[in-house]
Amino acid sequence: MRLKSDLVQQQQLQKKPFVSYVLLISHVINRVFEWLQLLHMSVFSQSFSPCGRFLAAGNNYGEIAVFSLSAALSPDATAANQKPVLTFTAHEGPVFSLLSTDVHLLSAGNGEISAWSWNELTKKCLCVCRSSLEIPEINSMIINPRDNSLVVGGGDNNIHIMDLEHGVFKNVLQGHSDYIHCVSVRDREAEILSGGEDGAVRMWDSRSSQCVHCIEVYKYESCARPQFGKWISCLTTDSDWMLCGGGPSLSLWHLRSLSPTSIFPLSGCQRQAAFYQDKILAVGEGAFVSHCLLGGEVKAQIPCTPQSLNTLQLNTNSTEHRVLTVGGSSDHIDVFTNLSYRAFSLSF
Amino acid sequence: MSPSLFNFVDAKDKFTASARHALSGKSSKPLINIFNQIPGNETEKKTTLDQALRGVLGDLIVEQKPSCDDYLSLIYLSIDAVTEGICSATTPFVLLGDVLDCLPLDLCDKIFSFVEENVSTWKSNSFYTAGKNYLLRMCNDLLRRLSKSQNTVFCGRIQLFLARLFPLSEKSGLNLQSQFNLDNITVFNKNEQESTLGQKSTEEKEDGMEVEEGEMGEDDAPAPCSIPIDYNLYRKFWTLQDYFRNPVQCFDKFSWMTFLKYSDETLAVFKSFKLDDMQASKRKLEELRASGGEHVYFAKFLTSEKLMDLQLSDSNFRRHILLQYLILFQYLKGQVKFKSSSCVLNDDQTAWIEETTKLVYQLLREIPPDGDKFATMVEHILNTEENWNSWKNEGCPSFVKERTVDDKPKRPTRKRQAPEDFLGKGPDRKIFMGNDELTRLWNLNQDNMEACKSDSRSVVQKAREFMPSLDEFFAEAIEQADPANMVEEEYKVVRNPNYGWRALRLLSRRSPHFFQPTNQKFKSLADYLDSMVSKLAKELPKDIPSEEIKTGEEDDDDNGDNLLKDSNDSPSIQSKLVTNQQMDDIAAKLGAQWKMLASHLEMKASELREIETDSEDVDMQAKLLLVSWQDREGAQATVENLVTALNSAGFSQIADSLSEA
Repeated sequence: MRLKSDLVQQQQLQKKPFVSYVLLISHVINRVFEWLQLLHMSVFSQSFSPCGRFLAAGNNYGEIAVFSLSAALSPDATAANQKPVLTFTAHEGPVFSLLSTDVHLLSAGNGEISAWSWNELTKKCLCVCRSSLEIPEINSMIINPRDNSLVVGGGDNNIHIMDLEHGVFKNVLQGHSDYIHCVSVRDREAEILSGGEDGAVRMWDSRSSQCVHCIEVYKYESCARPQFGKWISCLTTDSDWMLCGGGPSLSLWHLRSLSPTSIFPLSGCQRQAAFYQDKILAVGEGAFVSHCLLGGEVKAQIPCTPQSLNTLQLNTNSTEHRVLTVGGSSDHIDVFTNLSYRAFSLSF
Repeated sequence: MSPSLFNFVDAKDKFTASARHALSGKSSKPLINIFNQIPGNETEKKTTLDQALRGVLGDLIVEQKPSCDDYLSLIYLSIDAVTEGICSATTPFVLLGDVLDCLPLDLCDKIFSFVEENVSTWKSNSFYTAGKNYLLRMCNDLLRRLSKSQNTVFCGRIQLFLARLFPLSEKSGLNLQSQFNLDNITVFNKNEQESTLGQKSTEEKEDGMEVEEGEMGEDDAPAPCSIPIDYNLYRKFWTLQDYFRNPVQCFDKFSWMTFLKYSDETLAVFKSFKLDDMQASKRKLEELRASGGEHVYFAKFLTSEKLMDLQLSDSNFRRHILLQYLILFQYLKGQVKFKSSSCVLNDDQTAWIEETTKLVYQLLREIPPDGDKFATMVEHILNTEENWNSWKNEGCPSFVKERTVDDKPKRPTRKRQAPEDFLGKGPDRKIFMGNDELTRLWNLNQDNMEACKSDSRSVVQKAREFMPSLDEFFAEAIEQADPANMVEEEYKVVRNPNYGWRALRLLSRRSPHFFQPTNQKFKSLADYLDSMVSKLAKELPKDIPSEEIKTGEEDDDDNGDNLLKDSNDSPSIQSKLVTNQQMDDIAAKLGAQWKMLASHLEMKASELREIETDSEDVDMQAKLLLVSWQDREGAQATVENLVTALNSAGFSQIADSLSEA
């Protein structure tokens, strides 16, 4: 349709037919380029707003799109409601990690962490402050609610801890021998867990900044999958239990005893997992969301649009919009109102 | 002596009194006695008794007895009366109708039990024809009074009674025209304002469904939904019910497209949302079974959007929907006599239905518990439905098998065949030759002489006619003679001496060319046959006119059989066939005057025209004329005939020269 209006404009430029012709060609090329961009888009991270009515998603082009969940879930939603209300470029490189605090949306990509105000975002304006420290390739961030600090796992093999009040980095945790994929926080014991490319899951005491335990998952025969590697790409914890996976199979660990309890027979490498009620939801290679039981069986695999999934988020901030969203190697983000089937998709 | 007058009022009073007496005495004897005593016509007496009984019943009803025993005994009495022949056969039914009309439903229940128990009486010959319409009307009246959801069992009993009373083909019990219950509309809210969520519903639980606590109808005011609702699926899902209600919509193109789209989405959801046994915990199942009480029947679906999630996780609900699909497909595909002619499916639709049926069965099999068993049962039931459908299409033929007349006494079966059987005296009248092929051949006709005598024109006996037709036999040879086929000489079938011998025999029987003398000398049988084949090839396809044949490069001098070499021993010159040379001479002499000869040769105008168009040269035309004459005459193309024609045409000179030659 846009092409048609261009054509009309071209006709109006009849005095300079050659110029109009060139313009037409360039417009066509633009459209093709845009379409190609969409084709190659991957969603790396998602985060829900504190009120639970909005979803922010970051992709590999450094853009963040804000979607209105309340509009998309309303009874008179149309196709337009499944498009973002706001899209902006946040970083030069891909946005690997998104995190929401009570007020801000924190985004991290290659190097810097930016904080956007949610209020402003919902009003479609941008207001940002950036961090001082440059950390290469920030893969994962998490908030430690105990002391209101931000734990950042980076490509420089270290974990940086930043104080959210003042915005200064106060600590560095060193120990990993390769870059860090994922971080998690164990509330009760005030521990930080991190998993990295070196295959080790390290547990750090947040007060003393010492590495308390180090689990090398690939050394456990039941979990190891040497054909995939030893890297740990997903880590999540429930204080007593820990889920980790990646190269090795997704496995459930009992943290007291530091031993694997169940191994999940999922074929691909899992990139994100979450505890939900009595189930475990995991996404990774494969166009489906796996529902697993704590005992180790895979209960269901619900098909989704993207061919492989990178991120999984549950909207716990709002009961009316309590949905599961998954994104991956596609410009579509699938939304599940009922965990067992895909309801609709949001798209960039 | 004149018959004594019948006094109606008097008789009625007497009957009434006697009836009461009989009631109390629980015997019909007093009635019979009185009946015989009262003077009058049989019919008059009977009708009076009917009236009397009805009156007695009316009085009993007015007295409003708490139990129905009195009514029942009166009706028994009337049945006895009918058996004794003192009362018309319709009376018991009329009494029943009266009593049911006047009593409340709980008492009707008891009366109806009485009716059910006596079904054999109603079916007996004396009662059936008189009473069946009354019974039908009575039952329909009762059904109208009852509510299907409140008095389900009673309605069921009435239906069962009707089923036992009437034969299967009773039209009032059949949905002969395959009409649909179009009033069964499923209501669901199409926008949020109409949400039925806040309304308190009396029916809280459906069979086997887990009701989440705190979800339904807690507040009086409509509460905002506390869970996310997939309105998209909700609307599409319940719209499908409209198609199930009125399947004829599916034949309309746009409705079909919508149906297709929505069904695909719904079935995709069913496919991805797999149910498992573990959802209904063992404890809950035990509870449900223990409750034991009546299964409540819901005629309509509960369509609140909050229930959607729960309904999707319920196996019974899913079974309902999938079964609806199967029933719909059966109707769409099936042959129903009363379907209008515009209700036909096209290929795409049929293909989609096939695919989806497979998917539906697969989904059914996956539904726990006992999915496989359920699916096979459903398939079986639907197949049985096909039988009923075809039964209705045929106009409901009766299932009663007529006894076959004339049961022939069967021959005792023997282990080995008796000798008579061999020799043709058995029931088959076959003579067994010991070998199947021989038996068959022999039994074609046992008497050889008769078989040989058969008239060859008779179709039945055609078996003895062994001579093939010319085109059959020579077809292969003709094909090989065609230079386009490029068959080599040595492979031609005419080289085969066996073939050649048979060809000669056939030609001698069927072909005139065999007898035409020719000057051409043939070195061998094969060459001769070649020439014959080419002649036949020209002749046999009928579309080629005979004139054209002769203008070909083929030599048409072969009018005879050179093997016979009978050019020497020919009979008199006059009856000899005209030779080509002679024809050439005559043509040269005729020149442009050939047309005059044509009329004497009995040539048709069309043939003349053809000759004219074929060639410009007059000599040629004359030659053509003679050749076509020769073709037509065949063996009669003798010199004598030609001379005659020439003479009559006035060409006596030519005629003389011919006869001298």
